[in-house]
Amino acid sequence: MAYRHVPGVLASFEHIDAACSAIRELKSSGHDDLTVYSAAANHELEAAIGDPVSPVRLFTLIGGLVGCTAGFGLAMWMSNDWPLLTGGKPIVTVPPFVVFGFELTVLIGSLSTVAGIIILSAMKSLKGRPYDPRFSDDRIGVFVPCGADQAAGVEMLFTQHGSVEVTRDA
Amino acid sequence: MAVIAHDPSLPTQTHAEVTRDVVRTITDKPAMGYYILAGSMAFLTLVLFVTLGAMLKYGIGIAGYQPPVMWSVFITTFVFWVGIGHAGTLISAILFLFRSRWRTAVYRSTEAMTVFAVMTAALFPIIHIGREWVFYWLIPYPNARFLWPNFKSPLMWDVFAISTYLTVSSTFLMVGLVPDIAAVRDHVSGWKKTVYAKLSLGWTGADSQWRHYTRAYLYLAALCTPLVLSVHSVVSWDFAMSIVPGWHGTIFAPYFVAGAIYSGVGMVLTLMIPLRKVLRLDQMITEYHFDNLAKLTLLTGSILFYAYSMEYFIAWYSGSLFEQTTFWRRVFGPNWWAGWSMVICNAFMSQLLWFPKIRKNLASLFVISIFINIGMWFERYVIVVSSLTNDYVPYAWGQINPSWADWCILAGSFGWFGLWFTLFYKNFPIVAIQEIKEMIPMPRRGAAARGH
Amino acid sequence: MTDQAEASGVDRRQFLKVIGTAGAGAAILSGCSTERISTLVPYMVQSEDQVPGIPTWYASTCSECNNGCGVYVKTREGRPIKLEGNPDHPVNAGTLCSRGQAGLQALYNPDRLAGPMAKNAAGKWDAIKWDDAIARFAAKVGATNGELAVINGYSASTFSTMLTKWTAALNGFVTNFQPFSREPERLANQKTWGRDDLPVYDFAAAKYIVSFGADFLETWGSVVEQQRGFATSHGFNDGAMSRAVFVGPRLSLTAANADEWVNVPAGSETLVALAMAHVVAAKTGSAVASALTAYAPEQVAKDTGLTADQITKLANAFAAASPSLAVAGGVGAQHRGAIDLCHAVNLLNEAAGNVGKTVMFGAAPSASEGYGSIQPLFDRMSQGQFQVVLVHDANPLFTLPKSGKFTESFRKVAFKVSTATVLDETAAECDLILPNLHGLERWDDLMPRKGVLGMLQPVVEPVRGGMHTGDVLLQASQKIGGAVASFNAKSYEAYLKAEWEKSFKSSDFATDMREALGRGGVYTASTTVDQPKLVATTALAVTTPTFDGPGDYVLMPYPSMQYHDGRGANKPWLLENPDPITKITWQSWVEIHPDTAQKLDVREGEIVELTSPHGKARAQVYVYAGVRPDTFAMPIGLGHTEYGRYAQGRGVNPLDLVGAADGQGFLPYVGTKVSVARTGDYHQVARVDGTPRQLGRGIIQTMPVANAIKKMTPEESYKAIGRGEAESNPELEQKAIAGFYEAQLDATKFGDYANEHPKWGMAVDLSRCTGCSACVTACYAENNIPTVGEEQVFRRREMSWMRIERYWEGGTNGEPLQARFSPVMCQHCDNAPCEPVCPVYASYHTADGLNGQVYNRCVGTRYCSNNCPFKVRYFNWLKYNESAWPEPLNLQLNPDVITRVRGVMEKCTFCVQRIRSAQNTARLEDRDLKDGEIVTACAQSCPSGAIKFGNVKDPNAKVVQWKQNHRGYVMLEETNVRPSVTYLAKVLNIETAAFTGAEER
Repeated sequence: MAYRHVPGVLASFEHIDAACSAIRELKSSGHDDLTVYSAAANHELEAAIGDPVSPVRLFTLIGGLVGCTAGFGLAMWMSNDWPLLTGGKPIVTVPPFVVFGFELTVLIGSLSTVAGIIILSAMKSLKGRPYDPRFSDDRIGVFVPCGADQAAGVEMLFTQHGSVEVTRDA
Repeated sequence: MAVIAHDPSLPTQTHAEVTRDVVRTITDKPAMGYYILAGSMAFLTLVLFVTLGAMLKYGIGIAGYQPPVMWSVFITTFVFWVGIGHAGTLISAILFLFRSRWRTAVYRSTEAMTVFAVMTAALFPIIHIGREWVFYWLIPYPNARFLWPNFKSPLMWDVFAISTYLTVSSTFLMVGLVPDIAAVRDHVSGWKKTVYAKLSLGWTGADSQWRHYTRAYLYLAALCTPLVLSVHSVVSWDFAMSIVPGWHGTIFAPYFVAGAIYSGVGMVLTLMIPLRKVLRLDQMITEYHFDNLAKLTLLTGSILFYAYSMEYFIAWYSGSLFEQTTFWRRVFGPNWWAGWSMVICNAFMSQLLWFPKIRKNLASLFVISIFINIGMWFERYVIVVSSLTNDYVPYAWGQINPSWADWCILAGSFGWFGLWFTLFYKNFPIVAIQEIKEMIPMPRRGAAARGH
Repeated sequence: MTDQAEASGVDRRQFLKVIGTAGAGAAILSGCSTERISTLVPYMVQSEDQVPGIPTWYASTCSECNNGCGVYVKTREGRPIKLEGNPDHPVNAGTLCSRGQAGLQALYNPDRLAGPMAKNAAGKWDAIKWDDAIARFAAKVGATNGELAVINGYSASTFSTMLTKWTAALNGFVTNFQPFSREPERLANQKTWGRDDLPVYDFAAAKYIVSFGADFLETWGSVVEQQRGFATSHGFNDGAMSRAVFVGPRLSLTAANADEWVNVPAGSETLVALAMAHVVAAKTGSAVASALTAYAPEQVAKDTGLTADQITKLANAFAAASPSLAVAGGVGAQHRGAIDLCHAVNLLNEAAGNVGKTVMFGAAPSASEGYGSIQPLFDRMSQGQFQVVLVHDANPLFTLPKSGKFTESFRKVAFKVSTATVLDETAAECDLILPNLHGLERWDDLMPRKGVLGMLQPVVEPVRGGMHTGDVLLQASQKIGGAVASFNAKSYEAYLKAEWEKSFKSSDFATDMREALGRGGVYTASTTVDQPKLVATTALAVTTPTFDGPGDYVLMPYPSMQYHDGRGANKPWLLENPDPITKITWQSWVEIHPDTAQKLDVREGEIVELTSPHGKARAQVYVYAGVRPDTFAMPIGLGHTEYGRYAQGRGVNPLDLVGAADGQGFLPYVGTKVSVARTGDYHQVARVDGTPRQLGRGIIQTMPVANAIKKMTPEESYKAIGRGEAESNPELEQKAIAGFYEAQLDATKFGDYANEHPKWGMAVDLSRCTGCSACVTACYAENNIPTVGEEQVFRRREMSWMRIERYWEGGTNGEPLQARFSPVMCQHCDNAPCEPVCPVYASYHTADGLNGQVYNRCVGTRYCSNNCPFKVRYFNWLKYNESAWPEPLNLQLNPDVITRVRGVMEKCTFCVQRIRSAQNTARLEDRDLKDGEIVTACAQSCPSGAIKFGNVKDPNAKVVQWKQNHRGYVMLEETNVRPSVTYLAKVLNIETAAFTGAEER
């Protein structure tokens, strides 16, 4: 596992308000590249981090549109490609094809959404950043990548804000 | 805090306790009973496939089909399982959009149930067709001679609806699972750790992940909501599009969807009431949740009641001799027993839930849920079979006479479903850890945090 | 393959040889040739009339019964695949009954004997060589001096004549035995006119038909011909139709087709006939009046259970309609008073002056002997008067009642020889079996009546190693020498042709043999109708017939339409083709009236034990309102102890209960009373009818003749009578769907569908259909429909693409019980509900209006069948295609039609293979199709011509004229599926007031 080790300071919090205040402080002091670990999604944290709304909805939208077109297109083209008369009904009839339009909208829409999560999350690599199993339990973790020169300052900031545990990850 | 404490939809545990309780269901060594259960399910699954093998060898004629009833036990069971597969996504998706918090404790198990029920249902179209080995002709795959399926056929709609539903609902389940699997990963060791690590797809709960995840989950829920309603509507059109008296009904779509949710919730009750005891989850899944499920049952059951009555009204009002005969024979004809079991188990049993005493009593609730399962199977039997026994030409009328093969396949389908579910709840978080935690407020400084 | 070839005794190479020989007018092939072909005959040189893939037709004659209908044999690559009527033939004029068509399954029967067999000391059979067999036969026969008995079941023919001569030369004794040989009629004719021959009845000319127990549409007389005649006069042809009345204790198919069933106890038909004759004679002042003074309706009324008024009305109507026709006889009326009955009916015909008009003597159907002559023969056997007996084409030990101890007598003969092709009850008792060739394998002829010489020519190499009995006799004669040395023709074929040459030279046959073979025989229309002289009749005194036994119920055995005297019982087509009345397959039963059943507390399928002084029998109950409460009816034909895999141990033989004691010269079939006991056992009845009532759905619509004459549509007729829902689509509905269909039709004009195509359609005249089910067998034969067997029929899985639906009308609260028959096949709907529901286009609409079914594409979802309102789609639940045709039965398959694998849906195709071949022919000849050029198998076979098929876009097509008939309607019009099959409502010749269509609309 030879990957680039990211030096920095990892702090873990028990209290949500503590974590939030620490994050705000860091942000204001120019540390934008934070990684905040939490066991569950939390609005306060989101607010503190203040990232814009995820673009994943674009995947959903495009996937849905593609699916809808594909559904109708498939049904119509195939019916015309092998035109057989059944039950005295026209070869191409829209009402029954709505089903296919709808189903494929949902199918491709949701699959592309999932693809969205994976792609977007992968766009920010977390490789080399430290992680603590307790983060999936009840602790909130904040990691600030920084050189040895800044580390001391960051550590102090964390302790001020009531971090229960601060480790320098040189 | 005090306010929150009173809200019964909120768990009373801390984050740490939630993780502990749920992970315990996985890490605890299974009891003897578990092996017996899993074993018997595996056996029934074997029965299913042996019978299927026999049908492949000799033809589906070994099942008790008797013309004119060309669809009988298999299609009945197919619709039954598809119906079961509706509660899950309803609870996880629709109630999610409605922000009804009581869903959180039960939605994982119902969603799992959904996926496995649909997996079971998906077997039946293949089992019931005459030439099982060419079932893929129903899929529009590119082929040298450019032979395409008939998109006007309700059965084609079915193929698309069911496969879409299976894909999407299982995707939905897996997406929900990832953060929980990560949690499990962090609490196990050895080879298990490596396995769960792989399954967790490198989930760490970092903000960059939550940011997209929460958003995507919302859209998935939004997409699933119409899907749930559509799938059983399409299944109902398998019948409603025909000209068979008793099938050819305009109310079929809502009627079937209501029935599906009704049966689904019934199955949830049947599964969760014992399961919560076995897994000692009663702190997380409380009477309150069952009460809500029971109310949902009552609602859908009443819709069914209405649908049944409406069917008879339409039959009478249509003035169509064929419709009237069919519905008369449903309750007074040779299949009267099926007709009455359906009405009693569904329409009447559900009405008992008006009484809080019955609704809030898990024992009685469990009994009723069993009746619901039986009743809903009979509903499909009545619709499929007894409509076909007497349609237009009296000379061709006839009854069916199910054979051992029908019963083996029916029993086997329960085994197949049960096997998956049994394996699931012992190896994956049966309660959504991260969503429960989402509801539990994080401790704050100053505030006297509970659990310390 | 080779071992199979051994087993079936036939392989392609031999076929090729047959093609080369039989093809050339079959001049070279010797009927007895059994040598195997060792060298491959290449198709280098095309034989003159054999093209692979193109059928070759040979004219021949049906040898399934003694009516001698002419057949066309359709052969493909040298093997017969279908039998159809010969249009030139005076008897059947191009149509054929079920039994005749099933002759193919006698040819290819899997249980046919492979060669001569001799019984060894241990009582087991040894296969022996032909030379050996003939040597043994000759030795035994040569040793007898006159102690030779011959039972010959083959009717009048050159062969029978030769056999008679041959036996005479040996001072032997020969009996030309037919089980149902209508002896009472002969004896009665003797009594009435002093002549013992039988007349030919002209049903076509009759305006009023009364049958006294004679089931002239089933097994009595020349049924195909009679049915044709009946349809001609009784089918509604714009205004005119005859009226038919049936007098007897059971509602047979014939009775069901009559307009009125006069239900009288067995034996009292005679009184009705006499009373009618009395009235008629009084009217017409006929000479017979004097004889009938004692039989005024008033006097007979109470014994018949009718009112004098009823009889008088009947008689007056009969007299009023001239010419009319009264017929009597048949097994169902063969009680001890049968001679009186036939005599009475003869007088009735005399009185009404029908003799010479509808009752025509002269063209006497060839005489055959029956019980009256076979019983003495067996008596002589029992006295040990015979050393050798030869049984040819007969099975007396099955067709004669057990109580006669015939088997015991038979055993008294030292050496017994049979020529049976399948080991039947008689053959099983024999010491030597010399299997004959099947009619399609041999040179032979039949003379069903004066002026008709039906020829048989070999059209296929022997399927099994048989030898023509004629050759056996000739070869044996040479070994015997002496008196029979003169039988020295080099082969029977040579003998036969010599005989033919002689007759051809004679005055009434002036023709050339090749041409005759092409036409299937020589027919000289016998215009000579001779008036018989009435024997001066003294006052009649008939005694009411007696019945043996203390039982409470008269036993009425009747010949089954499918099995006749039992010879049909080893043919799956006949076993699976349901009995037209009871709709039971693969089984025999005892018919019990509902009231009686209630009294006895027995249900359908319950097995009861019937006991008569002559024996016991266990039969399953079929509760039937069409039989008198004091009568039990049972079909004859099943209950074989031998006779092949299909027949053996199946059903029960009512003759076990019948007494043999007689003295009148015929077997009194209806001469026994039985008592009944419950056994508590149960055996499901293999019925194919679901609910036999129409429940007001207008499946089969009828109208009284008065309304038909007024050219009413069925709807108008029902409205006029004030019955049922008048119009199927109310005005508002009509308005709602107006133009919709046309608009939709335009929307479908796409691709090939936009081009000009014919549109195939069918019309069925229910006024002509009698429900005889010949079309069903034709469909099985043409379309390779598998027979599924009793077990599968229990599950209603029979595959009959074409079925005859039989519904009951009335029968309750005093209304007379009536039957309705209708052939139902795929209706090829324009808005076919089965098509859009198929996910893979296996069911689709062809450009020429057919409802196509692509077997190879079908995956078997079966939705099409669910959505078919007529339920005419049939599913291959199991591997029927592997079980239905055991070798060599598979050789009967029609190469133009694929056999269907398990798991696919199949149904009527309007015989698309016939449509296409006709179209191809037309294309090759660069011309348009002619109307009537395409005939579906069902339409072709229908003896009453009830089915028309053709292009509905051709305004001159016959089918279009039929469709435009005011009686036309389509089934289940409410569903708006637009069927291509139009039905013409059945017309009932009854007063409008008496119309009972309560359950129809």
